[in-house]
Amino acid sequence: MLKVDNLSAGYGDIIAIRDLSFSVEAGQILAFIGANGAGKSSTLMCLMGLVEQKSGSILINGQDISTTTVEARITNGLAIVPEGRRVFPDLNVHENLIVGGHVTEASIMKSGIDYVYTVFPRLAERRGQSAGSLSGGEQQMLALGRALVSQPKLLIVDELSLGLMPKVVDECYAVLETLKQNGIGIILVEQNTERALSVADEIRVLEAGNLVWSGTALDAKNNTALTQSLMGLS
Amino acid sequence: MLYLELLFQGIVQGSIYALIALGLTLVYGLLRILHVAHAALFTLGGYVGVIVTNATGSFTLAMVVAMITVGLIGVLTYKLAYEPLLDKPPFIALIASIALFIAAEEVFRIVFGPYGLSYAQPPLQGGFEIINGFFLKYAEALVICISVVMLLLLGWFSAYTRLGVSWRATVTDPDMARAFGVNIQNVRYLNFFVGSALAAVAGVLVALLNNLVEPTMGSVASYKALAIIVLGGLGSIRGTLIASMALGVIESFGTIYIGHLLDRDALAFGFLIIVLMVRPQGLLGSK
Ligand SMILES: Nc1ncnc2c1ncn2[C@@H]1O[C@H](COP(=O)(O)OP(=O)(O)OP(=O)(O)O)[C@@H](O)[C@H]1O
Ligand SMILES: [Mg+2]
Repeated sequence: MLKVDNLSAGYGDIIAIRDLSFSVEAGQILAFIGANGAGKSSTLMCLMGLVEQKSGSILINGQDISTTTVEARITNGLAIVPEGRRVFPDLNVHENLIVGGHVTEASIMKSGIDYVYTVFPRLAERRGQSAGSLSGGEQQMLALGRALVSQPKLLIVDELSLGLMPKVVDECYAVLETLKQNGIGIILVEQNTERALSVADEIRVLEAGNLVWSGTALDAKNNTALTQSLMGLS
Repeated sequence: MLYLELLFQGIVQGSIYALIALGLTLVYGLLRILHVAHAALFTLGGYVGVIVTNATGSFTLAMVVAMITVGLIGVLTYKLAYEPLLDKPPFIALIASIALFIAAEEVFRIVFGPYGLSYAQPPLQGGFEIINGFFLKYAEALVICISVVMLLLLGWFSAYTRLGVSWRATVTDPDMARAFGVNIQNVRYLNFFVGSALAAVAGVLVALLNNLVEPTMGSVASYKALAIIVLGGLGSIRGTLIASMALGVIESFGTIYIGHLLDRDALAFGFLIIVLMVRPQGLLGSK
């Protein structure tokens, strides 16, 4: 579904990621792990078209989207849950979801919003409340919901668990699990290594912008040296 | 009766201030630029209004033409003057804006003459009695009505349309809005179009109230609108509306009661200084 080859990206003269290659299939979860500044967020943002791509290609179902607009990528099935949630604090819950469907056909947006309210009833209860006044957990649900409004085929999730109580994290991951079962591909960045190893099918380890380890989550778990160095990260 | 009359005068003036200051707030909220040249668009609106009314006899048509042309010129101003300066520190854009404002006043003087223009047959003359002995001019009633309609339209647009919601999202977090496919460029165009069109409406109305447009009509408006958006808490739309009305009413009463001490135009700054001493973030701003 997603195939990335020799991707390099950065900010002006700064190169944040170098020659990354990876792919994600429908119904698969791929997790990036790495220290702060390793280039995890840059990778995700580059897929979305929000960080400048220097070279390489990003194929969605065989079609190269490297040079397309953010809008086109969303139409092609991508959506992002950004690091730090970044909900629009002055807008209410419902309006945040509307922005999530900005480029989406009205009927799809409507069923997308209905879906979000079904999986997160708490958001439905607070639909008129300003997003800035929600709790951290509710904001994360909103950030996740906002990305689901366009009914993506490939969901990109950056640090879902950051600063949240385990119960809320469980709730959010349960939704990701459902999405996976519905055939949606998921790329996630997770600083909680244990969590990453338990939910992901595939693991990629980044170090200073380079891919230093690739393999299945099972292989990663059985690799004691690797898990020990990864646990040191979280 | 005097109180009522002063109150209405204040509301009329406050409505004009609101129409002008809104555009300034919209620009500040989105780009953090103090758009001083905005007041030149207000003047231009007055000119277009008078010229089109005199040429066609239709005040309504004049209003529409003024909104559209001035709106487009506002977009052009952004494109030519501000867009190239966006990655520079904000004071650079401010300097450009002041230069543009001065240049515009000179252009008005050269193109339309130094003495100003008037309506050949001023529309909406006369007035009506609201209650015993208290009259409101038709033109003044129109100012209030148009302002209310414009604000309701803007409020409806920003709360109930997808584009309006995305517009507000862009103001709070442009990078995130972009992540959901919002075209930031178009939002900026829209912002300048709407703000400039509202200033044009104010210009047409002020030209009607005074039956005169002069090249320097925007000077007082420019610094008062700046005072208003600071008062309202930079970037806050609701704050701008409240500050506009408050200033209109305070000026109207102040001219009568303390006018011998403080000039009408100085009142705005007296008010500004007092409010900022109590609430440095403005009436509705956040710290
Ligand atoms: N806007 C930016 N401008 C310049 N350099 C940046 C920018 N954002 C990130 N970088 C640099 O790119 C590199 C990768 O950063 P990135 O945010 O992708 O790391 P990360 O793996 O997501 O880290 P974290 O775990 O802290 O979120 C870092 O060296 C960082 O300093
Ligand atoms: Mg990151």
